[in-house]
Amino acid sequence: MSVVVIGLSHRSAPVELRERFAFTCEKIPAALAALRASGLASECTILSTCNRVEIYAVTSLAADAAFAELKKFLIAHHAYDGALGDEIYSFAEPHSLHHLFKVASGLDSMVIGETEIFGQLKSAYEVALAHQHTGARLNKAFQRAFNVAKHLRTATNIQRGSVSVMSAAVELAEKIFTALSEHEVLVIGAGETSEKTARALQSRGVKKITVTNRSPERAAALATELGARTVPFENWPDEFERIDIAISSTAAPQHILNRATLEPLMKRRKHRPLLLIDIAVPRDIDPAVSELDNVYLYNVDDLQSIADDYLNLRKEEVARCEKIISEKVSALLAANKFSANAAHTKD
Amino acid sequence: MRMAWFTDRHCFLLAVIFYGLSTLYSVFLWRKGFRRDEWANYFLLAVGVALHTLAMFKRGMTLHSCPVNNLYEATTFLLWALGLACLVYSLMPRFKFLTAFTAPVLFTIGIFALMPSLDVHLSPGAKPEFSGALRSLHAATILQAYGAFGLAAVAAVMFLMQQHDLKFHKLRALLSLLPSMQRLEFIMFRLVAVGFVLLTIGLTAGWQLPRHADKPYFSDSKVLWSTLLWLVYLEALVAYKKFGRTSRRFAIGIIATFIFLLLTFWITNLYSGLHN
Repeated sequence: MSVVVIGLSHRSAPVELRERFAFTCEKIPAALAALRASGLASECTILSTCNRVEIYAVTSLAADAAFAELKKFLIAHHAYDGALGDEIYSFAEPHSLHHLFKVASGLDSMVIGETEIFGQLKSAYEVALAHQHTGARLNKAFQRAFNVAKHLRTATNIQRGSVSVMSAAVELAEKIFTALSEHEVLVIGAGETSEKTARALQSRGVKKITVTNRSPERAAALATELGARTVPFENWPDEFERIDIAISSTAAPQHILNRATLEPLMKRRKHRPLLLIDIAVPRDIDPAVSELDNVYLYNVDDLQSIADDYLNLRKEEVARCEKIISEKVSALLAANKFSANAAHTKD
Repeated sequence: MRMAWFTDRHCFLLAVIFYGLSTLYSVFLWRKGFRRDEWANYFLLAVGVALHTLAMFKRGMTLHSCPVNNLYEATTFLLWALGLACLVYSLMPRFKFLTAFTAPVLFTIGIFALMPSLDVHLSPGAKPEFSGALRSLHAATILQAYGAFGLAAVAAVMFLMQQHDLKFHKLRALLSLLPSMQRLEFIMFRLVAVGFVLLTIGLTAGWQLPRHADKPYFSDSKVLWSTLLWLVYLEALVAYKKFGRTSRRFAIGIIATFIFLLLTFWITNLYSGLHN
């Protein structure tokens, strides 16, 4: 008996094909039951997310025969009649376990090191467990995969840092201010990115958000979405005495904030630190303002560069993670072998 | 078996060696961008401070008083206050790397303190001319104040480094496990304020001490120097809190003042009639 995996992911198949083979949550228990009833697998789990569809199975069949049968099952279950090339991949032990550990750790994800997959894999396993479609082999493999993912999270930098512009802005704010709950945010311009950035800051507990926009209707709409208040566009400089973070994304053709405007405002603020996030193109804030003490200016390229650096950092960690995973897979296989020998001796 | 050959100076030498090891490790941590949260440097510094405490205890037991009678003792007392305060503050969240910034200061001044000429011994059987609780309070509070100013300068270095990294968009600012700018600024201010209060207590206690009639208090070089420091720190605190001095200027000011303090501490001691 060994663990095999068959499936398709963002690496092997386009979204049109992935959605064709996706399992809805409600249909997974029935599919698992059908798989076991076919005699193909003694234990099985189905993972179905927007980026991957995978079947993990414990089978007594030879690997090639198992792959062929599982592929047939997938095609038949989804009544797929199109052509298939290399879109469906399959792994036998030890590669299947290696793949499972990589998936759990986010190493096989579109954004390396992301943590959402961990929760999705856990849910998939819990569904199979609740419907009694798992046994000793899969239980051990999945538990070990979750442990390895947690270990990699703490022992390496694979999940370190922000890989999106919004989260980079939040991280910067947390490097400047001790507690975001004591600080207010001004959103200048009601664009989509500024909304997302404001939401990211809101999720970290900022005290209050104020929105301003040339169109008062759009400002009001965004303020309602964020649970914020609005101020007339011509009055936004007055807010600088209170706020500590400003996100700007207007469509203005020239700078709306320059050094001459900000300098007296900083004096009124008694030089409290001010984080300016300029995500407008063309830029809203004159780069010369960053020469002022306690002013920290980041534009969209700066934030993107932080996100890219973090992603590169994560990529550098992949080799280290792969090594740890290989060791953990070997340990699991050795444990399985020991258990099998012990059972054999007992018989 | 009594280890009579193992004097308090040997003990202090060992402490300085540990400060040196901590300095070397700090270079490693700096090269790694202060990314890993670890206790190794804290441990090295803690061993150094423990040995340092033992050295001062041994010296104090020999003198039967607070060991602040010559330049060596005064310098080691100042360093001890700095080291101990660093160990306490390093226990705060994200302040562990304070040890990496403090160790080089402890090591450098520790080497200086080991110069034999600084450790002038009293004649056998002789006692300091003036002794007692008030004298110990005077010396101890002033040296602790210098320790607090030293740690404030260390926090100011961390602040300026973080500010530079954030201003110039260095990834190190985000990767390093250093405290937020606001927290560093708060600690910097608090340490200067604590140091200022201690210095005020120390100077007031000094004023109350008995002295020769031909040695007026405010004409002594050390007293004048200490009063100058008191004024400089008072100006820094008032300008920062009341007149909107920027945190960067405040940080630079307290670093510069502490460097001045270190460079002139021993000269004023040598020329002070009241302290010799």
